Formats: sequence, C-alpha cells, structure tokens
Amino acid sequence: MSTVGETPNVLHPLVAKYLRKERMPHMACPGCGIGQVVHAVLLAVDELGLTPKDTVWVQGVGCNSRITYSTWVGDNVDAHHGRMFAVATGLKMARPDMNFICFTGDGDCGAIGGNHFIHACRRNLDVTAILFNNGIYGMTGGQVAPTSPLGAVTTTTPYGNIEDPFDMCQMAVAAGASYVARWRSTDFKPLANSIKKGIQTKGLAFIEVLLQCPTNFGRYVLKTSNPQDVLKWIKDHSVSQKEAKKISKEELAGKYLIGEFVYRPERTGIVERYQEFLKKYQKD
Amino acid sequence: MSSGVKPGKYFVQGDEAIAEGAIAAGCRFFAGYPITPCSETSETMARRLPEVGGVCLQMEDELASIHAVGGASVGGLKAMTISSGPGISLKLEGLGWGIKNEIPYVVVDVQRAGPSNGVATRVGQGDFYTIRYGSAGGNSSIIALSPKSTQEAFDLTIECFNLAEIFRCPVFLLADETVGHTRELLLIPEESELKVVKRVKPTVPPEQFLMYPLDTPGVINYPFPNIGEGYGICVSPYTHNSKGYASTAQDMQEKMAKRLVFKVTENLDKLVRVEKQKMEDAEFAVVAYGGNARPAIAAVEMAREQGMKVGFFRPIIVWPFPDGEVLKVAEKVKNILVCELNIDGQLSREVARASKGKAEVYLLGSGGVEPHLPAQIFNEIRRLYP
Repeated sequence: MSTVGETPNVLHPLVAKYLRKERMPHMACPGCGIGQVVHAVLLAVDELGLTPKDTVWVQGVGCNSRITYSTWVGDNVDAHHGRMFAVATGLKMARPDMNFICFTGDGDCGAIGGNHFIHACRRNLDVTAILFNNGIYGMTGGQVAPTSPLGAVTTTTPYGNIEDPFDMCQMAVAAGASYVARWRSTDFKPLANSIKKGIQTKGLAFIEVLLQCPTNFGRYVLKTSNPQDVLKWIKDHSVSQKEAKKISKEELAGKYLIGEFVYRPERTGIVERYQEFLKKYQKD
Repeated sequence: MSSGVKPGKYFVQGDEAIAEGAIAAGCRFFAGYPITPCSETSETMARRLPEVGGVCLQMEDELASIHAVGGASVGGLKAMTISSGPGISLKLEGLGWGIKNEIPYVVVDVQRAGPSNGVATRVGQGDFYTIRYGSAGGNSSIIALSPKSTQEAFDLTIECFNLAEIFRCPVFLLADETVGHTRELLLIPEESELKVVKRVKPTVPPEQFLMYPLDTPGVINYPFPNIGEGYGICVSPYTHNSKGYASTAQDMQEKMAKRLVFKVTENLDKLVRVEKQKMEDAEFAVVAYGGNARPAIAAVEMAREQGMKVGFFRPIIVWPFPDGEVLKVAEKVKNILVCELNIDGQLSREVARASKGKAEVYLLGSGGVEPHLPAQIFNEIRRLYP
C-alpha cells in the first residue's frame, strides 16, 4: 500500500515500462475513463514494439492532456488549447521518421481547435489522434461542450443544451482521414487493436473514445456521481454498426455508432507526398 | 543538404530578401498564412525551400502557422513565420507558447497601416508595443530587429535566426511595408562570409540534463535538445520546473518568470545595435526606425545644408530598447524629434522614457499609408530647432 501523494510501490508492468514513475499516480478523478484509454494506448505501443526514442506523445488542453502530459518516458509536447494538430504538423514534418500519438479532448478538437482538426484530416497528416470524449468540459468544471447531448444540463446550460452535438467521426471521414473509429472506454481490446491499426496506418488515424466523467458529466447531466451509472448511460446511448442496421431510425436517434467507419490505407497524405515532392524539386 | 546561399547581385524586394536571408541562415521550415504586404516572402519561400530540402506549408490560419513553426523547431528545424498587423494579433497566442518553452524561431512582421485591417497595402508602424507586450500574461522579454533597406532585410533576418538560437527564444524581424516592397540592390555574399549560429546541443547525458535552466536565469547559449534525441523533453503551455513538468507553485512561477525576463535583461550589452549619423556635434536629433528612417536621414541632410547641427539616430535592435544609447543622445542635444508612422507615439514614448528629461522629445506622428516626406520632417526640424 502506498499513502496519498506517494508513488505506488507496485506499478502495472506497462506503466513501469513506458511511463515516468515520478509522475505517478496520475491526477485523474476517481472513476474517470482516461486511465482505461491510456492503458489501451500502452498495450498498443507495447505490442507494436515502439520505443521512447521513436515515439512522441503530443497533447492539447483538457483533462486528458493534464493527465497524459509528461508521463511518457520519451518526448512530450503539450500545445495550447486547440492547437495540438498545428503543433503536430510542424513536429511530424520536421521528423517524418517518428511516431506521434496525439491526445485531444472534445473541446480541444471540436471547439477551439475545430479548424485545425478539419485541416489535419484534409492534409491526412500521418499521426494517431485519440479523442477523449466525455461529453462535457471536465477540467474547467462541467460547462457545455460541442459534444454535449441535446438537452444536457451543464453549468453553462442550466436550462438544458439547445444545440446539437458534433459527430466528430463523421467530420473526420468527410474531411479525409485515412482511418476513423469510435469505441467506448469499456471496449478495451477493440480499442487497443484499433490504436495499433491507427499507428500502422499511413495518414491520419482518428480514434474517438466515449468515456465516463462521473465528476462533471455524471454530476450535472445525469445527476449521479457513480461511474457505473455513467458507463450504463454510455452503453444505453451507443450501438454497434452491425446492430444499428437491425433497428429503426427512431431508435437510433441520439445514439453513438460504435466501430470502424473508414479504413483507406491507400490514401496518401502530406508527409508522404512532401517526400515525393522533394525528390522532384530538391536541387542538391 | 545544400546551404542554399546564392551569392550575387540582385534587384529584389525586401520581402524577397527576407526569404533569402532565412534560407541562408539555415531556415528549413516555413509556415504562414498569406497577408499583404508580406505575401512575397511566403511566395519566395514556397519556391526556394523545396530546392534546399526544406518544408514550406500554407496553413489554415495564423494560429496554426506559428504553432506549426514552434513544433518544427522542437523537431529540430530552424523555422520562420510571417505576417502583418491583424495576422500578428492572431500569432501572439502561439508566441507565448514559444517564449515560455524557450523555442528558437523567427517571426517577421511587415507592418501596415492599422488598427484592425486598416489599409492593407500601405505602410504603418503600429505594432511596436504589440510585439513587445502582446504575448499573453507578461513575465517575458522579447528581441526585435528592424531593417531599413532590402540589404538589411537580408542581413538582419540572419541575425534574428542567430539570436533566436543564442537566446533560445522567438525573435522578431519588425519590418514595414516600405521595406517589404522597396525593390533595390541586394548583395548576397559567399557562404563563407556569413555568420550562421548552429543550435547548441547538450553535452551531458539525458539523466543529468535539465531542459530549462531555472536556477541560472541569465544564462544564454543554453542547449536545446530536439525530439528524438533521447532527452525525453517536456514542452507545455503551463508554468514548469527545470524538467518541464507543470507546476502551480508560486516559487516555480517566480523562477520561470525571472528566467524568461533575465535571459534578455542580463545580456543587454549583447543586444545593442544602433545607427548614428552626424551625431558628433549635433544639437538636435531626429529619431526614426525601419523604413521611415530613410526620409528622416534625407531631412537631416537637408537641415545640415542649411547649417543646422542636426544628427540622426536609429535603433536597429528595437527591443530590448537601447535605453543607454538614447540617454547618450539626450545628454548631447536639446531637442529630439521622433518620426514614426502611428499617431499614438509608440517609439517617442520609449525615447522620452529613456531620455530621463535630459532633452525635449517631440513626436511627428502619422496614421500611415505613406512614409513621411523628407520636406515634412525638415519643416518640423526648422520649427523646433532651438
């Protein structure tokens, strides 16, 4: 047993291998789903044999970035709010030989950084982007997000949210990402496999994860602090693509589709094209 | 990889000279968003950078371009972005990230007549304070150099890159439309004649290296390991400790603020560069910077022909402001006339502050669009001459 504020004596083997011991334990709220997603990332990294020398973690701003930043044993680059994809563009173009695993939140990616997200998909930037979608602004205390459900009561929508939420995956597909998928934090194995596939895909891999935020989504939207209740809500509001074909349009309304939406590994992106372009125009 | 230097004589615009200077300085990443009056730099970079194996991107906006430039520099490439007034306002967000993480890169501001979109195609000098104090939150210093000619646009761009590496910070080239669009002779020397500073690399093993020298705030030439070099660097927008870990402690904020300010203010002697003409016996000084220095020099010559003892003074490194040099001028003359292309008197306020009451400081301001005319400045000299 360890006491509060001390590094636990026993670390998970993947944590011991890939994360900075002095940055543990991380600062996620009890019951938060971010740890589950990080676990899946570490499993993918391990199974692919990536190392701290060839892989960089890049973050935006939000709960996910505060928890993942400076925990990776290799290089960590944390950008201003919304600018993760812009920073990743510079990093990847400077070091096309390295892997970039990028973490972003629903506010970072869908609101303040929405334009950069669309253009990163259009350029099909060769990075793996993982969207932590908890449906609310967690770090700033439960304000409405562009992914909050219609009618959701939050601290800035006390009478209920009157705006429709974004479907970030559909946006990524339309804008041109090579690989797009959505999972729940509880879909551990498919999520880890999906991240592996994303890292191996040339071009932008965009993987959205619906995860539980008992502290704010639970508290304000669902009126519960129990993570299980939030997970149940996610389960009740999501459906696999296969199941979706069997049910009516009315039943599908307001539900998240789960699974892979697009996989087009043949689609090239800016990184590969720039290398080709240099072969043609570089003089010496 | 080629040095990209193309020695010879050219008849080009200042904007093009900035691009050539950047390439000669080793810039291999450029990201920008087109804006008048500096699009020619982006266009030249788009043509020239691929030739030397560099990356040139037109990003979706100014925010993206400055953040991409910061990312590319962390990735190990010398990098530059460019804009003008309203675009610089957008870039200031990213600038704070670059300053805070001590990332070397160059930002070019080709000033136009503002505020807001103002007169997009014509000259102004209203960003003097914007670039110094605009980045969010204060607690930082900035370095800015200002060219007056096409040749200086080339030379000072190289110097901006060198200072960025030495001081490990973003450095501004504060140009203006007059400089950007003036087409005149540019001499590009042989590569061997150019002084280009390379990025300093750590010599100690990763476990001994601290990314941010918070305990030695004034130190310069401090190494910058890039990603992928095994140093496990941490770059973030938050106040950090020496390793780059985010911290909310007051002493850490204090240390970081001191580091960001003192690395410039404790090395002021390395950051003084001014031009003086006919100041030896002067009783009256004319001060101007950037492209507006040219009519000011012409007016000083007109005054001299009339037998008036008038000299000319110009800060070339405009930030940090050359307080000591201005004070020397103020102690020598009775009156100082500051000519600048804004009505609010940004440069003149600094001159007045640095003069410490030793001379009377007058402003010949202008909203911009046209540079001052030599005759206009001469008339003002004649009116104020003691």
